Amino acid sequence: MGKVTGFLEIEREDRSLEPAADRVRHYREFVKPLPEGEVKDQAARCMDCGIPYCHQGCPVNNQIPDWNDLVYHTDWQEAARNLHSTNNFPEVTGRVCPAPCEAACTLNIHDDAVAIKSIECAIADKSFEEGWVEPQPPEHETGKKVAVIGSGPSGMACAQQLRRVGHEVHLYEKNAQPGGLLRYGIPDFKMEKHIIERRHQQMEAEGVVFHLNTHIGKDVEAKKLLSDYDAIVLAGGSESPRDLPIEGRELDGVHFAMDFLTQQNRRVSSEDLGDVEPILADGKHVVVIGGGDTGSDCIGTSFRQGAVSVTQLEIMPMPPMQEDKMLTWPHWPLKFRTSSSQAEGADRDFSVSTKRFIGEDGKVTTLECQRLDEEMKPIEGSEFQLKADLVLLAMGFVHPVKQGMLEALGLELDGRGNVKANTNDYQTSTDKIFAAGDMRRGQSLVVWAIREGRQAAHAVDKFLMGTTDLPR
Amino acid sequence: MKLVSEIGVGTVAAGVAKAKADHVTIAGFEGGTGASPLTSIKHAGSPWEIGLAETQQTLVLNGLRSRIAVQVDGGLRTGRDVLVGALLGADEFGFATAPLIAVGCIMMRKCHLNTCPVGIATQDPVLRKLFSGAPEHVINYFFFMAEEVREYMAALGFTKLEELIGRSEILDKSEAIDHWKARGLDFSRIFHKPQVGPEVSLSNTERQDHELEEVLDRKFIELSKDALENRKPVKLDLPIKNIDRTAGAMLSGEVATRYGHKGLSEDTIWITLRGSAGQSFGAWLAHGVTLDLIGEGNDYVGKGLSGGRIIVRPPEEAKIVPEESIIVGNTVLYGAITGECYFHGVAGERFGVRNSGALAVVEGTGDHGCEYMTGGVVVVLGGTGRNFAAGMSGGVAYVLDEAGDFEQRCNMAMVDLEPIPAEEQFNAQDQHQINDMESHGLVDLTDMTKDDEKRLRQLIQNHLHYTGSKRARQILENWGEYLPKFIKVMPVEYRRALEEMAEAQAAEDTGLAELEVGMPDAK
Repeated sequence: MGKVTGFLEIEREDRSLEPAADRVRHYREFVKPLPEGEVKDQAARCMDCGIPYCHQGCPVNNQIPDWNDLVYHTDWQEAARNLHSTNNFPEVTGRVCPAPCEAACTLNIHDDAVAIKSIECAIADKSFEEGWVEPQPPEHETGKKVAVIGSGPSGMACAQQLRRVGHEVHLYEKNAQPGGLLRYGIPDFKMEKHIIERRHQQMEAEGVVFHLNTHIGKDVEAKKLLSDYDAIVLAGGSESPRDLPIEGRELDGVHFAMDFLTQQNRRVSSEDLGDVEPILADGKHVVVIGGGDTGSDCIGTSFRQGAVSVTQLEIMPMPPMQEDKMLTWPHWPLKFRTSSSQAEGADRDFSVSTKRFIGEDGKVTTLECQRLDEEMKPIEGSEFQLKADLVLLAMGFVHPVKQGMLEALGLELDGRGNVKANTNDYQTSTDKIFAAGDMRRGQSLVVWAIREGRQAAHAVDKFLMGTTDLPR
Repeated sequence: MKLVSEIGVGTVAAGVAKAKADHVTIAGFEGGTGASPLTSIKHAGSPWEIGLAETQQTLVLNGLRSRIAVQVDGGLRTGRDVLVGALLGADEFGFATAPLIAVGCIMMRKCHLNTCPVGIATQDPVLRKLFSGAPEHVINYFFFMAEEVREYMAALGFTKLEELIGRSEILDKSEAIDHWKARGLDFSRIFHKPQVGPEVSLSNTERQDHELEEVLDRKFIELSKDALENRKPVKLDLPIKNIDRTAGAMLSGEVATRYGHKGLSEDTIWITLRGSAGQSFGAWLAHGVTLDLIGEGNDYVGKGLSGGRIIVRPPEEAKIVPEESIIVGNTVLYGAITGECYFHGVAGERFGVRNSGALAVVEGTGDHGCEYMTGGVVVVLGGTGRNFAAGMSGGVAYVLDEAGDFEQRCNMAMVDLEPIPAEEQFNAQDQHQINDMESHGLVDLTDMTKDDEKRLRQLIQNHLHYTGSKRARQILENWGEYLPKFIKVMPVEYRRALEEMAEAQAAEDTGLAELEVGMPDAK
């Protein structure tokens, strides 16, 4: 433990943000890193709990008190080694993770949690600056071939782990660049894409073979993989968006959030959009349906494109401003949160259900909404209309895309339509096919995807070799 | 008596029962304070089930079970634990961690650092404010657990817990034994139930007669009537045996009832005892009582000493060499607060542990001397064991280091070692006073940071006076030669606190003496 009484003396300080008026003028990251001395002070607040709840709060079980202590003692290199031992991409989680570890922090009971996410990000960024992140190619080859389908956080983590123990790993990605939702979902202003690119390079140097622009089930027959590889890991994400099949859904100007976000990320990266119709928010009144993280990304992107107004509708009631920590701690609490994108000027409304889209000349102009009571039943006479030129549906994802690969492989699905596999062996209903990440567990956090990728790698290595040294 | 659950605990428990303990606790290896190191939490003792089963079987086989209450603890959490404990033979059940968690403990394991963030194991007023527990939380916890016990008992067809104590045959163990991890292990001895007749009890059913009316202290009280009622000096000379435990404790109770902690004036009751004393000789001895034991002491001599004086010396006709012979046992002066003792011989281990203000002269000690001491003065006129002064945060010790190797045996984590300066102001007047035993050889404790020579010489002088120690005489007669061989053991924090107090006092310009740690009434 760094400083025994650190938490009594030092207040929580977190990274500051560029003012909203400035940051909406560009697509670059706007979170300012803490100075090194401040990171050390923040690490000194860690109490090194005998039962560290942050270990359990973190899906990849980061050894948070250990690297807090190392940072406090200025041993950044050992901190970086420790951090990378549980998390393949800490520079990603240091930016986009909601930090369930901080909700679980013991200091969060009566005080403010340790700034774990900022410390993690500082360690990860420093390890790149200092050149401590080097390719770790395997010392020997096992002669086993593994295909990983999908290069999102789960697939990348899985491929990296498997390659490092000597398997020949082929990572398939249907898009032009690896990263999955990290690349095409999360806007650049939350995480710049060179961060994925340097991991891409690291993995290539380690010997992972990337097959970009290769859509399994379309460009390559899924069944063929079974004969070509000793094991296959499906990490294709949960890409079927929840739709809103109401009157007027077919109108022009009503789009899924991911269609909108992907386009913008391609534009920022100067990637070819292909022959899709551009979806742009400039000069428009935008309504985002869905109050989650994707909705927030739509808000931030709309403002940057020059939207006149952005309104976000949430079907659930407004959560309490403060959680009852005696009931919620150490779990992730339901409470009112304002994301940086929402803080850029979005109007937010709760307990609202959309009844129909109204349009003129085939283009959406208005939304008809209705308020819901506590039991989520419509309140008679509470109908109202909202002006909308662009409606973005950000209501979550129901399950993986079934057409193509999953149908061809004929895998058993669970009750929610995800690929059925447990978290012990990650085995699907077909021998030597494994599933991990959102494709197995349904839509979730980046950090859960990394966890599943790592654990699936453990399972695959054990399946191929009989034993494994890979951590779970 | 608390016993660690391990192989052989049954034999110890039987001995404890024969010694008429009312109560024995079998402590398993789970649970425990968060302040202890992980190695101790994980690797001390064995599961309570094993120790409890052995204890129950041994006590039942020897017909001792009825007279002693068997308690079990060590990570008990649920009603099921209670039920299993009862079936294996426990009358009572100890809980600590679980009720603590009920009031908000989050197992930080920082109990020893004063930084408990939920305000339980801390004295920091800021953190104590954060304590959000309530008695009702503990009550709820125990009610839920009792309810669970009741449910299990109902399922088994019992209405009283007493009826199922020791009924290990009722335990449904097939599931546990058939578990794959248990394959190859033989549990039959844990579940064995001794075949005894119906006259042998399986649980605690009788109250013991401790014959408290017969103990030696009753005689002391009776013979000291004049002193207790009229403050008249009394001098007694009685024999003592090793079954006479805590000699002087009840007498001190009588003194304290009548005169409080101030007690009687010096040496009002002087009892000379001859023989081997039982444990805890002179425990809580009050002001005005002197026990002069000619013979030997056992463990815990002077436990909680509260102002009295204890002298232990071998009989003059004994042929032993006192400075090489054990005269008192282990843990002497445990938690003493004030008073004096003079031991003409060597003490056992943990001499002066948790002493907070008593003065003691001894001619040698075992390991861990002055452990956790917070006040008072200890003089050792001979060798010490290893780990001297571990955790010593107050008081001083003077050790005669003739071989010059004391530093190797001293735990230096919290103390400094320094020579004793020969003091110029050690003048004729002082000399006169010291030699005048009629003035009771008062030891000057006003400033523990100086006057060491005077204090040390006075204590050794007292030792000679009370015990006739040849060793003391030799040292005093060759003072100039011996003084440089004495080492003063001074706790670092104690010195800092004394200096701060002296500054504060100087500011107030009043006497320091009243503030002196542990000796408010001695003068």
